Amino acid sequence: MTVKRITFVQELLAFMGLEGRLHLEWISSAEAQKFVRVITDFTEKIRMLGPNPLAAFSETRNASGLKIAAGLRKRHQNQPLRMQATHCL
Amino acid sequence: MIAKVKRWLEEGTVDLFIGYKMVMGHPLPYCFVKDKIEAVNDLIVGTSRYALEKIATHISAARPDIKIGMLARDCNQRALSVLFIWNQLNPEQIRTVNVNCCPSNLKEHGDCSYLEPQTAGFFKQQVGVNNTDRPEDLEKYDQPERLSRWMYEFQKCIKCYGCRNICPVCFCRECSLEHPELVATGTLPPDIPIFHLVRAVHMAGRCIDCGLCEDACPVDIPLRLLYRKVNEIVVNVFDYETGSNAAQSPFSILGDQVTLEPKPLRALEN
Repeated sequence: MTVKRITFVQELLAFMGLEGRLHLEWISSAEAQKFVRVITDFTEKIRMLGPNPLAAFSETRNASGLKIAAGLRKRHQNQPLRMQATHCL
Repeated sequence: MIAKVKRWLEEGTVDLFIGYKMVMGHPLPYCFVKDKIEAVNDLIVGTSRYALEKIATHISAARPDIKIGMLARDCNQRALSVLFIWNQLNPEQIRTVNVNCCPSNLKEHGDCSYLEPQTAGFFKQQVGVNNTDRPEDLEKYDQPERLSRWMYEFQKCIKCYGCRNICPVCFCRECSLEHPELVATGTLPPDIPIFHLVRAVHMAGRCIDCGLCEDACPVDIPLRLLYRKVNEIVVNVFDYETGSNAAQSPFSILGDQVTLEPKPLRALEN
């Protein structure tokens, strides 16, 4: 049942773009080595995912006050000028 | 349909009937009663959608003995199933007149009486999430892009609670979204994305895909799409189809059975 609950949250986060940050493991209190290994591996995996993406959203805002990720902002800036003018209104 | 409603009111099959009536050019929910039975001539169906079952829930809570009739599209029927399961309405007190329904992922065939949903504007398509997409359409974005698109949508939220207020299956007296220890009440904007994710998780096993939340949202967040994904996960992982059957057990995210029993109060004194 726990598996179902965790799967549910994992799939919801994956849909949102926060995949791979929730991990479920069953470890007995007698399996200390396994515990260490699981924690170390997962910590490494999270480190590889990079800094918290949600923190990036408290960065500078654009003119209209809405925060847009850097990658998407660049793409938008390449649009023809009339489209940009409409956006700034 | 009008004749049927009149007959129901006259015979006492129902004490009041909730439908729509044109009021100053707008089709609004209206309660028809036996004393003013000529008003039933103005009963219309139209293309407007409201959570009539929510009105019924409030009436039933105040006067549980009243028999209520209502117009029911498929989304209303599903909502009624869920409300019966959760004991918010008594199935014996409710009679429905079924009318044309709108298409939904939770039901395969639908005769459409729903207005065509608006296509997303240019800017929203570039940086946000298109409301008319299906959940699988979002697979084409990779993870970071998905996050930034959803965050663009969520940060517009002004915590109006419109989605929660209009939702026909939201009935909790103490809503987590207003709990002072969970959500900073009185400040804007809400903590995103957790605010919407909390609501999404609470919608598991309850959302019947009526789309009123998205209609109510003043800033056009694709809530119906998000809850459709939640429903998909519930069907795939838990094998539970919300609203399909008024006799199934309430959805419990704790699993098939809750095996923990409440401890007797005596144990606390030890």
